[in-house]
Amino acid sequence: MLESTKFIISKLSRDRTSLVGAFLLIALVLIAIFAPVLAPYPEDVTEFHPPERLFGPSMLHFFGTDRMGSDIFSRMLFGARITIAIAVIAVGVSVLVGVPIGLIAGYNRSWISDGLMRISDIFLAVPQIILAIAIAQTLGPSIENVILALSATYWPFWARLVYAETRSALTETYVEASIALGASPFRVMVFHVLPNISSSIIVRTTIGMGGTILTAAALGFLGLGPPAPSPEWGRTIAESREFLPEAWWYATAPGVAIFLVVMGFNLFGDGLRDILDPRTRRSNDG
Amino acid sequence: MRVLALIINRMLWLVPTLVGLMVITFTISHIIPADPIAFFAGENATPEQIEALRVRYGFDKPLYIQLMNYLIGVTNGDLGISIYTQRPISEDLLSRLPATMELTFMAVFFSTLVGIPLGVFAAIYRNSFLDHFLRILTVSGLAIASFWLAILFQLLFAMELQITPLQGRIDGWGPEKITGFFILDSLLVADWESLQSAFSHLILPTLTLAFPAMATIVRFTRAGVLDAINSNYVLYEQAMGLPSKVIIWKYVLRNALIGTVTQIGLIFGILIAGAVVVEAVFDWPGLGLYAVEAIMNSDYNAIMGFTLVTGAFFIIVNLIVDILHGIIDPRTQD
Amino acid sequence: MKHFKTFKALMLSVALTAMSLVGIPTDGMAKSKFVFANSSPYDTLDPHVIYDVGRVASRLNMYDGLMRWLDNPPKLTPWLAESYNISADGKTYTFKLRKGATFHDGSPVEAKDVVYSIERILALKKGAFSLFSKSIEPGSTKAPDSHTVVFNLKTASSIFLATVPAIHVVNSDLLKSKEVNGDWGGVWLSKNEAGSGSFELTRYDPAIGFQAKRYADHFMGWGDKYLDEIEFRTVKEINSRVLGLMNGDFHGTDGYLPQDQVKRLKADGNMYVLEEESMRIFYSIIHNGRKPFDDVNLRKALSHAFDYDSFIDNILSGSVARNPVPVPNNIWGNPKGEKGYTFDLEKAKAYLAKVKGPIPEITIGALTGYGQTEQAAALLQNGLSKIGVKSKIVSEPWSVASKKMRDEQQMYDMLWLWRSTYYADPNNWVGEMYACDQVGARNNSWYCDPEVDKLLMEARVEPDQAKRAANYEKAAKMVTDDAGGIFVYNTKWFGPYNKKVKGVRFSPIGNAQEMRWVHME
Repeated sequence: MLESTKFIISKLSRDRTSLVGAFLLIALVLIAIFAPVLAPYPEDVTEFHPPERLFGPSMLHFFGTDRMGSDIFSRMLFGARITIAIAVIAVGVSVLVGVPIGLIAGYNRSWISDGLMRISDIFLAVPQIILAIAIAQTLGPSIENVILALSATYWPFWARLVYAETRSALTETYVEASIALGASPFRVMVFHVLPNISSSIIVRTTIGMGGTILTAAALGFLGLGPPAPSPEWGRTIAESREFLPEAWWYATAPGVAIFLVVMGFNLFGDGLRDILDPRTRRSNDG
Repeated sequence: MRVLALIINRMLWLVPTLVGLMVITFTISHIIPADPIAFFAGENATPEQIEALRVRYGFDKPLYIQLMNYLIGVTNGDLGISIYTQRPISEDLLSRLPATMELTFMAVFFSTLVGIPLGVFAAIYRNSFLDHFLRILTVSGLAIASFWLAILFQLLFAMELQITPLQGRIDGWGPEKITGFFILDSLLVADWESLQSAFSHLILPTLTLAFPAMATIVRFTRAGVLDAINSNYVLYEQAMGLPSKVIIWKYVLRNALIGTVTQIGLIFGILIAGAVVVEAVFDWPGLGLYAVEAIMNSDYNAIMGFTLVTGAFFIIVNLIVDILHGIIDPRTQD
Repeated sequence: MKHFKTFKALMLSVALTAMSLVGIPTDGMAKSKFVFANSSPYDTLDPHVIYDVGRVASRLNMYDGLMRWLDNPPKLTPWLAESYNISADGKTYTFKLRKGATFHDGSPVEAKDVVYSIERILALKKGAFSLFSKSIEPGSTKAPDSHTVVFNLKTASSIFLATVPAIHVVNSDLLKSKEVNGDWGGVWLSKNEAGSGSFELTRYDPAIGFQAKRYADHFMGWGDKYLDEIEFRTVKEINSRVLGLMNGDFHGTDGYLPQDQVKRLKADGNMYVLEEESMRIFYSIIHNGRKPFDDVNLRKALSHAFDYDSFIDNILSGSVARNPVPVPNNIWGNPKGEKGYTFDLEKAKAYLAKVKGPIPEITIGALTGYGQTEQAAALLQNGLSKIGVKSKIVSEPWSVASKKMRDEQQMYDMLWLWRSTYYADPNNWVGEMYACDQVGARNNSWYCDPEVDKLLMEARVEPDQAKRAANYEKAAKMVTDDAGGIFVYNTKWFGPYNKKVKGVRFSPIGNAQEMRWVHME
């Protein structure tokens, strides 16, 4: 296990784009942790200065000020915390729900398997964002409810993936052998199938983070995220529309932030896939 | 025969899947804390007024009876009446459909027209400057928030340069209605003013919507072409001495495109999901905007109608893709 | 983009050639057409189904009432009625109709049409229904002859006359012929028009708006300057409306744009901006019925914790007028000289110290999509945190908020919103917002003070306006002293118009959207 981790790290460190991705992600985590130290005006998350509203970017305010006169740069740094929390928890829950369902449906060949897959098909039958909007609206706007809405709509992706991977893993000789030797289904699933398909799950999870962040931002943009005066990025973009085109900086900063973070996950995920997933590796290095 | 079995199997599942979808959306929409009746009745409504409307729309009955009534209605082709617009849902959806279709077709057209050649070039000149540039572009396409891209486009092209309209689908009343597709209708009745207006209004939403789809197409085409180049029969053709241009365009591209075509389902998914947000920003009077407004107004019937129609559409598109896949590449069948 | 311009030029030349070939005059007739960009969509044209200010244009331009509100301050003026008479007991209102008024199909406007209209409002139970639901019994309105209408109220009411303009008169013969399954012609009227108003409908599309042409035979007659055609188009995005005004596509838009946009328009050479004080107060509801908000000291602390000056002068750039009481400054019944509360954290703390028991986290409601309500909520939250009171903001769409407002348990502790003019009478504000019989309906504060209520109930039946004014002044002052809500400002209306547009006449009820006096130069 340690050997393979070393191998992955050395492979990744030789791939420039994965390095860029890793750098962006590390920066995001550091920013989220040290936001109170890094922000020039950490109090501006809840503190306002109405006489200073809608000032353009300057040395005092790198990204200008917003409609309440607060420093946008400081608020963006705190917004990173919200983004990380939403993405990590929502994806975490989806994995915890989706993977077992996929394993069971993949291993089992009775009506249970069909039933589970049909249920996830139902969820996959409409665009994720529509279900997420409907759920978030039902529960009321808050961070917790955004997480809930995203988890409720994202688990089928993992269920689907794990189902397909499990089916193909079951044809591997050593898995067939252990079944023939009388290993319990639980043992087969957890100790033989799961390690075999874990790389696909890791890749899918990393890339899924990016998509989740985009959907979460869209919910914030539509007014279903955490309420004012939260520095959530999507909500900030929505706030800024009323003040365009004069206050162009207001919309620019949060959009760039979302872009960089999603880019980080996508690049890093791509790099991981090239190393971990042999079936798609060819296509990238020719 | 296997294809036929696949079709029959999927068709059998279509109805239960849709019913399941209905049950889920019904549950979600009916536990909404909002009261569409109170909202619709207005700021000055009295409690009696609200109660009367509730009885009239059947909201006073228990939930399972409401669900049964709804499902019975759907089998008769009746999606109910929007409590917000006061019109039948089917009429609303039908009147909104052409706007979304027009936008989606333009986006598909644009993204394939640009995406496929770019993907081919990226593969042929792999690891060149062009390839790296395209890689950055495609990764960006999937990392950018579409509502933000839309606002940037508006800021630049509509507000600063003022060369495109800011939002909306057309200036004025549009061409005489024949199909509901403005481009097509204005061509049919030779209404050049409308054609120009419809076209200029399409530019920004199409670009916004097409960007992520194009990124996906470039990636798949590139991968497909690389696969094909490395495959045995191409090596064989090369050995036979065919010129490389002929090989690329005749053999490689054809095989690579098959891979891309089967990704249409994925691309439609990206587009329909994208349309919801893009239509909201551009105030594009299509299905996506209708859905967002319905959710915001807690318009139960409209939410259900929209999910039912998109769900059916999605399932059918995926079915077609699976069938195509089955025909083109028999190996993928389980 | 170069290609696009080439395409544009090509299309234009093709179009021009085609037009000249078939002989269509490319130069339009000298007909004047006014295009208005409206922020809310015209989902329905039925005048008895909607009763909001955002969609008032379809009602005012295509329909008439017995009476009409004109100018600012609004004056109640006989319109389809020639004269009216109120019985001594204040229960019987008799209107004499003008002769010679006709509907757009040429048939005369008669008493039976007025009776049909009020019955239709009572039957549909939508729109302005609530104004009449308590005072008029279905079937009680009579037409003794073709030009006399008698309203027989259940109880004496001194606000009835003020609500008469909301009875838009429809052509009863026409509607009866369009009736399907006892719907009072509702399906048909949502897309068509059956009025006698200054303009008649020519085109309608719920997704776009409506177009109407001048009705030359309108009973009020026409001067020598008028509009031939009006068009009200839905344009939701503020920036689209502003850009459209600046490049001449629209000639007017709503008067409640953000100040930054008003500044942009004022700077434009082709535009001018009319300014009027409207009647639309912005305030925060406080849930007086819930502990500990039933304690006047807590409510006073809340009222002192809001930074009025920052909100009005900075966030709204001084575009509104401070209105410290629950009656607009510019209507009778407003207690003149009332100072209200100031932003004073020391006083707030002092009042807070008098509150018994712990203060829970306060939920402050705001409306999604209405930035001002969120900004006010955030500013209040900031003030509260400085006096050690915790709060959380909940921003929800109007559909959700309007439901919660009616439920004592679900209602937020506080909620920021506006109260617009439905009829220009103080009863529209303090008289409904703080009356005991409106609790859970239009009184969303669960505020019920016997003394205030007595004043309000007296004023509702008292015919003498001077006496009524005294009551409303007193009641408004008492509610303010009691800190029944946080009263912030009265809206100013900034109507942007193209320089060619003349003769705009503003009234808080119609927001200058009645077009019969407007003309273009």
